[in-house]
Amino acid sequence: MPRYGIAIDTTKCIGCHACRVACQNQNDLPVHEEFNRIVERERGVFPSFSKEFVPLQCNHCKDAPCERVCPTGATYTSDEGVVLVNTKTCVGCKYCIEACPYKMRTMDHGKGIVVKCRMCIELVREGGTPACVSTCPTQVRIFGDLDDPTSEISRFIAEHRAQPLRADLNTGPRIYYKRS
Amino acid sequence: MERSGFISSAVKRLVTGPPLYYAWVLALLVTAVVGVIAYTAQLKQGLVVTGMTSFVSWGLYIGNFTFLVGVAAAAVLLIIPAYLYEFGPIKEIVIVGEALAVSALMMCMMFVTADLGRPDRIWHLIPGLGILNLPSSMLGWDIVVLNGYLFLNLFIPGYILVRAYQVKEVNMKFILPFILLSIPWAVSIHTVTAFIYNGLAARPFWNASILAPRFLASAFCSGPALIILLFQVVRKYSKFHVKDEALFKLAEIVAVAMAVNLFLAAAEFFKELYSDTHHLAPLEYLYWGFHGKGSLVPWVWTAMAFNIAAFVIFLIPKTRKNFVTLNLGAVLIICGIWIEKGMGLIIPGFIPSPLGRVWEYVPTTIEVLVSMGIWAIGLLILTLILKIIIPIETGEFTRAGRVAA
Repeated sequence: MPRYGIAIDTTKCIGCHACRVACQNQNDLPVHEEFNRIVERERGVFPSFSKEFVPLQCNHCKDAPCERVCPTGATYTSDEGVVLVNTKTCVGCKYCIEACPYKMRTMDHGKGIVVKCRMCIELVREGGTPACVSTCPTQVRIFGDLDDPTSEISRFIAEHRAQPLRADLNTGPRIYYKRS
Repeated sequence: MERSGFISSAVKRLVTGPPLYYAWVLALLVTAVVGVIAYTAQLKQGLVVTGMTSFVSWGLYIGNFTFLVGVAAAAVLLIIPAYLYEFGPIKEIVIVGEALAVSALMMCMMFVTADLGRPDRIWHLIPGLGILNLPSSMLGWDIVVLNGYLFLNLFIPGYILVRAYQVKEVNMKFILPFILLSIPWAVSIHTVTAFIYNGLAARPFWNASILAPRFLASAFCSGPALIILLFQVVRKYSKFHVKDEALFKLAEIVAVAMAVNLFLAAAEFFKELYSDTHHLAPLEYLYWGFHGKGSLVPWVWTAMAFNIAAFVIFLIPKTRKNFVTLNLGAVLIICGIWIEKGMGLIIPGFIPSPLGRVWEYVPTTIEVLVSMGIWAIGLLILTLILKIIIPIETGEFTRAGRVAA
């Protein structure tokens, strides 16, 4: 089985929010629910400073805190390493939202349950890539198999020493960032 | 035959009372109905009608829940001196304390249910029918310990009262193990509730080992403070006798608990302020405001002032033994701990978000109405329980008495 992940090169991100739009569209999300978020940051001090766009999404952690805290076991990790929510057993207690270090889970108020990025698993299983990856005009995101050392993503991570966000929390995130 | 006799005379006791009793029950009923109507609106439209967002996803409901778990746990405080040290004056009031614990637990469960997005799926939490994710989910453990505690607090006074109703001696050999078990169990309900927040590594405000001890210390303040007020009401309107000595003893325990609570708060302040890491941000938000936002600042300083004032009142024997100042202190503590351990604990845990964003939370009218409704239902349960058990405890309501009448 592959173990999917995404590498993000923030130095290429122009902040166009196309990935966000593609994500909203793919998952049929209203404006206030987001699986994909772009954070704008300032780096450095005047006169040598720059703006950085950091795209955020579920990190599909290996030891996902959201999965651990779920009282009904509704959150689970698929064989491909994708963290998913069973929409039939979620009771909407929101404990997983508190546990997520990235705050990348949100409430579907219509259904009363917690929803999140699924790495577009239905597209991936048909041989495609997640919507945020394929839509990006500057190819910021690289999607692939982290277990395959010859895959584009594995080579990218090795070459640029890409790191996950908040690796100190020991959750084993599967989204890697090249930030300089 | 006999059971129906008990039920009909119990119902008769519930519907008869002085005008003040009717007014009190009516007021509670009206508030409860308003709460139910507000909750219906929430059920229809979902949690979007609350002030909770993906950033601050727990609010007023869980704040009240946390406060009430403390109140429920405080019943143990009455049991320890009563049974272990044979402190007579408290012994007779244990049952009333347990009635308070039962109604507090009922309110806890209602508050948690109100916070759920899909309350109709609550059966998923029953092992066997659904999957209760043990041992990894702290929320799963909390469901286990809260229900166990509810059982103990129904079973122990239930047994004692049935014996009293039948005018028989209580078999201490049978009931004592349950009473002793309820002591660590009371500690466990509050510890596990603290662990719900405590175990989240990405929330530095909660991820401090001082949280569970501080929970217990503040529970030992607010619980007895409520009980002090409750007993004065009970002894005024019934033949149930509570010695002043017992109330003063409780006040003394509150003084010690508040000293510990304030000390632990000071320890937390020192650690965060002196080390001055980015973990300081939630504390800064709570007490001084952060990035221009600080809607909790006036609340938390009020709580601080109330707690310190009450501590002084309960510490000095002269003010502790004067009913005017004693009651003032009890009210100050209840308000102070409610703020500190409700909104003051839950909200700053989310602010700022782990990646630095600041979002504030303000409860909506619907949330406030639902919360008031739950409090009204809880107080109604308490009133009705006391209306039945106090006459049994005082010997006014027994099988023999009923047969004679």
